[in-house]
Amino acid sequence: MCDIIWCKKCNTVNYLDPYCFWNWEGKVNCAECGEVYYIHMIQGHMYKGPEPRPGEKPDIHPLYADKPYDGYTNYPPGVEGKTRPYNCTPRHIYLGRADQRKFSIRNRPMRAWPQPPSAGIAGSQGFYWDIKKLSPEVWEEYMEKIKKGEVRDW
Amino acid sequence: MEHAKDLKPHEFLAKILVPEKQTNHICWSCKYFKPVLKGSKFPPADLIGWCKKIHWPFYWCVSEYDVVKSCYAYEKLE
Amino acid sequence: MADPREVRLEDLPGPKSREELEDMKAPYEEYCRKLFDVGNEFVKPMALEGVRWLSCTMYIFTPHAVANLGELGAEVIKIEFPRVADPMRHTSPFNECYFYPLHDTRPKSGTGIGVLNANVNEYYISLDYHRKEAQEVLYKLVKMSDGLTECYRPGTFDRWKQSYRYLQEINPRFIYVWGGGFGYGPKAFGGSYDILGQAHAGLASITGFHEDFGGHPVKHSNWCIDWYSGTQITIAILAALYWRRKTGLGTMIEFSQVQAATRCCGYTVPLYGRFGIVRQRWGNWDTQLCVHGIIICGKSDYPDEKNPQLRNEARYVMVSAFNDPDFKELCSVIKRNDLYEKYKTHKERVRAEAQVEIYRELEKWAADKSRSEVVRILTEAGLLAAPVKNDKEVYESEHFRQRGTVRWMDDPMLGDVIAQSTYSTGLFSETPRRKFWDFRPVGADNIKIYHELLGYPISTIQEWYEKGII
Repeated sequence: MCDIIWCKKCNTVNYLDPYCFWNWEGKVNCAECGEVYYIHMIQGHMYKGPEPRPGEKPDIHPLYADKPYDGYTNYPPGVEGKTRPYNCTPRHIYLGRADQRKFSIRNRPMRAWPQPPSAGIAGSQGFYWDIKKLSPEVWEEYMEKIKKGEVRDW
Repeated sequence: MEHAKDLKPHEFLAKILVPEKQTNHICWSCKYFKPVLKGSKFPPADLIGWCKKIHWPFYWCVSEYDVVKSCYAYEKLE
Repeated sequence: MADPREVRLEDLPGPKSREELEDMKAPYEEYCRKLFDVGNEFVKPMALEGVRWLSCTMYIFTPHAVANLGELGAEVIKIEFPRVADPMRHTSPFNECYFYPLHDTRPKSGTGIGVLNANVNEYYISLDYHRKEAQEVLYKLVKMSDGLTECYRPGTFDRWKQSYRYLQEINPRFIYVWGGGFGYGPKAFGGSYDILGQAHAGLASITGFHEDFGGHPVKHSNWCIDWYSGTQITIAILAALYWRRKTGLGTMIEFSQVQAATRCCGYTVPLYGRFGIVRQRWGNWDTQLCVHGIIICGKSDYPDEKNPQLRNEARYVMVSAFNDPDFKELCSVIKRNDLYEKYKTHKERVRAEAQVEIYRELEKWAADKSRSEVVRILTEAGLLAAPVKNDKEVYESEHFRQRGTVRWMDDPMLGDVIAQSTYSTGLFSETPRRKFWDFRPVGADNIKIYHELLGYPISTIQEWYEKGII
């Protein structure tokens, strides 16, 4: 169950997520034009509203919004002042770009980046990652880390 | 939703969540009753709903056939 | 003469004073440390050495059933589809958490770390069962193995002539395990997911907050029913092995995951049968005990952290003070002795309305305190309180480190990785579990198994590889 506020002023659909608005009373802004609406939801149903309350301050932003007549241009969650920031938005470290670490948090090497082909017959592999032979530059870096005392037990 | 303006929250919910059955149980006006909604296929056919109170932490299945006329846990919806 | 019914301290075994307790405790502590010798498991024998198991499994549930055997010392051969492999390798998590290599033909793909712990100490071969040539190979493996675990739709292996009734003819001692969603019956073709098990078995309906607080049925974030029912399969396998020792006969185990999850519902189901009542959810509190739940504190232990998981979420405390003296103490700690006067007996406290009031007062008291302050105050008052830990704190926990539950391991193939699953299953004095390696690339042991174990010539193996049979 999820309700929306369809702002007739700017034809924007503002989505009200059930986790926040399931039982909720207060004012929500339109993400596009900033028009403030009063709503009261009970058990996921719109009990009162949406009534425009121009000039008042919103209590909360919608989760996200889009404009169906405008090719579904949208405001994703977490747009400053328009939609609600929430803790599950991708964090700075998860940008969809692989952040390939070669070392674990205690600075020992992990085989966690694309490897050159190294299998034998029929895809068979040895039991041991000979890092010194297969990735000499990582080995070098590891030796540096040991020298600097950055390699820890925990 | 203009028509909802004059309704109290529980009246509004009763309007939205239409129960499957209508019986003489006192439970219909009780705060702790949770009705079987219209179109629900799952619960046994003779249930009108569940009481959230008398067997807490369990829902007691209120049957159509034992008509509750009075109950120690009854509290009228305000 | 003393009344024989009277219990006197000096007649009882055990320590008579705190000093004596300390005296008696220390040697036992040392005895345990020496006996279990955490971190030194590899010098000890393995319980299931000599058992050879085949694993035609995917994802977590059935693989974990076999991983248990592998950790206990069985020789496990994991059979994957050529090139494509176990879909769990490509499933989770969806960002950059990969280990490489997957296979030489797919240099850019790695194996997602969701696979970790589910296929421990196994040999990885690839085989396409659909092909005529593959059948003989599988039959050869069956002849020299103790059992097989598979997770295909019911009847699939039967269609391929490799179900229990066919394999039994080749090897009457063979133990055959099918693990999947619903098993035979009305939903034979239903697949299986952990969340399906939680939902279908009624577990999700009693998890989460009460509907009056806006709660919905909730599933566990991790696939706990996968891990749980996998372990149940392992127990079934060990029983089947014991039965076979006595009778010399194999067994077929047909294991439905959604069925296994009903076991977790405890008394909920029989109670319905007795009274026709259905259990309600009660969130972070307890329906049988009060106070016995999780409360939120006002201040975070990590107010300046960038990560919201630490900044906002490190605020929960588990509190337990349900018997009368403990509850009295708790009320005096939060300076609400009137609460104790109001709810003197546990029967009164455990009622829903009372719980709402008591926990609200507790959270009001904790509103200006951080999690660690709350734990410290309550612990000093002699009450049970513990922070709700996140994985960072599990990693840092001294308790887990001393007992070797969480430890670093230098995986021979993948490098540095934390191992927690193998060592979370109890300590053995004689035959401890251990992890030699976690997983290996697809078909990494093709030569070892097909050539060294089954004796096929290298040229044949090469041919199969080129044809895509392995």
